Amino acid sequence: MRTLLALWTKEWLALSRDVHGLAVLFLMPAAFIVIMSLALSDVFRDGSGRPVDFAVLAADANAAAYLADGIAGEGFRATPAPASEAAARDQVRKGNPALVLIVPAGFGADPSATLKLLADPTLLPIQIAAFLQRVQGATLAVKSSSPPLSLEVVGNPRGGRPSSVQQNVPAWLIFGMFLVVMPISALFIAERRDGTLARLVSQRVPFSMLLLGKVGPLFVINLVQAALMLAAGRTLVPWLGGESLALPARWDLLAAVAASTSLAAIGWGLLVAVASRTIEQATVVGGVGTILAAALGGIMVPRFVMPESMQAWAGLSPMAWALDGFHAVILRQGSAADIALPCLKLLVLAAALLAAALWLHHSRRAG
Amino acid sequence: MLSVDGVSFRYAGGEEPVLRQLSISVPAGGIFGLLGPNGAGKTTLISILAGQLRAASGRITVDGTPLEELRRREPASLGLVPQEFAFYPMLTCVENLRFFGGVQGLGGARLRERVDSVANFARIVSVMPRRAGELSGGLRRRLNLAIGLLTEPRILLLDEPTVGVDPQSRSFLLDSIRALAGEGRTILYTSHYMEEVEAICDRVAIIDAGRVLREGTLAELLRDDAAVVPVRHDNRSLEQLFMHLTSRSLRD
Repeated sequence: MRTLLALWTKEWLALSRDVHGLAVLFLMPAAFIVIMSLALSDVFRDGSGRPVDFAVLAADANAAAYLADGIAGEGFRATPAPASEAAARDQVRKGNPALVLIVPAGFGADPSATLKLLADPTLLPIQIAAFLQRVQGATLAVKSSSPPLSLEVVGNPRGGRPSSVQQNVPAWLIFGMFLVVMPISALFIAERRDGTLARLVSQRVPFSMLLLGKVGPLFVINLVQAALMLAAGRTLVPWLGGESLALPARWDLLAAVAASTSLAAIGWGLLVAVASRTIEQATVVGGVGTILAAALGGIMVPRFVMPESMQAWAGLSPMAWALDGFHAVILRQGSAADIALPCLKLLVLAAALLAAALWLHHSRRAG
Repeated sequence: MLSVDGVSFRYAGGEEPVLRQLSISVPAGGIFGLLGPNGAGKTTLISILAGQLRAASGRITVDGTPLEELRRREPASLGLVPQEFAFYPMLTCVENLRFFGGVQGLGGARLRERVDSVANFARIVSVMPRRAGELSGGLRRRLNLAIGLLTEPRILLLDEPTVGVDPQSRSFLLDSIRALAGEGRTILYTSHYMEEVEAICDRVAIIDAGRVLREGTLAELLRDDAAVVPVRHDNRSLEQLFMHLTSRSLRD
């Protein structure tokens, strides 16, 4: 018994002095509870997230307003109608509004007149289904039977509803790329601890060069990661019974978003590596920071189900910028202009993180 | 001559300076022993000389040329052998040597020649294909030294290069260091082993709390302190002098 008591005492003392390990155990769940509770608060409050904006485009303005009134509510908010079908398609492709119902001329009189619904590809299928139900309800007030309706998910290469794999691959791809923080910091801290970094600095290898020396291989690893995850969505998921990932037509844009995301992730890894004094510290700051940025940035919970105030915070996460970029390419089949802003934000962040790592190193060197 | 003149340094957040107006003169082509208890400032001084830390004040020159300028002009003029095993354990010995040679600008036939030369010198040829992390303590020390010699530096900083090795490896390392000095290199050598310093150093400085307490040849140090060191002259040793000067209290 005395032996067991001694072992318990030792274990308790060791655990109580492992500040970083305890921080992971206590702070991470607490942070998760706060972020996820806030992110999902609207979903559990009234069964839907932030209202999804929609518009009704019809030749007859009165009919459009009538239908919009009937559809609005239960998580859907009416917005002014676009000028034309082309304008509607362009606006939906950008996600604002997320849905446009196009009503053909003579809809009330012609029983075969078909409604057309343009949908944002980032919407969940369940949201589109809920909207279709609202449309049916509203049209039954005008006609005795449900009219035929065609659905076009704008930008989706399949044309139909976006699949789960189409939504999930970009999100987890980004998360995986940001996890590069772990190997970067572990190797860097080992180099510092073992004196290899000191030896390289004494050989007049500039510190900026040492950091850049890490960027190249990790950048390649990130791109291989991206290729493998896309390949998994394309082959592994359908092999296991899921839908296959539809690849975008513009590979160059996909590569640009992946490259920008990789540079931001590597910049984050380098700053954590330089700032942390121990591998344990890097694991806490880098690992937990990455997971929290993912929770906040819409990787774990889609941003559109978050309350509006939370969405503003979500926009601060670099993972949200990367997700915007990937969605623009993979879901919306967007152009270079559509990925320019997210890529620019990621590249500016990468440069700022690298500069911060250099500044920190030089300030420590001066004593 | 490597001159360190009035160098001071304090770590960020540190209460006390680690080096306080420290001055030493290391003659060219000899072995200069730097002795001091733990926390005396030896490794900090080596780090400043190696360019890892920047002194808050003071001047360091080599034959009148500021050390920084010399290192800028001739980056390979200074070699460092840290007390840690400063190489990559997951790489083989030859990969480590090629890497450290490559980052210092060596390439092609010249790199091959230097790798072969230092491997022969450190007698690690037979373990070149093995991963550095799998080597014994003595072999690791020899690889550590070999890396520091790749560019044939004329100033060599050796920070406790024999820690944790068996007597055979220590004897080999000391012979090697003597041979390096014999080729005209200036060697600054730190150690806790007094008998090593007595055996190979031409001049010695004893430092404590960031200050030089004594500096001179071994004979000068023992002679000058004869009056204050309470032992018979014929039994006097560097260790007795060291203990007397730095006091016997344990250090952190």
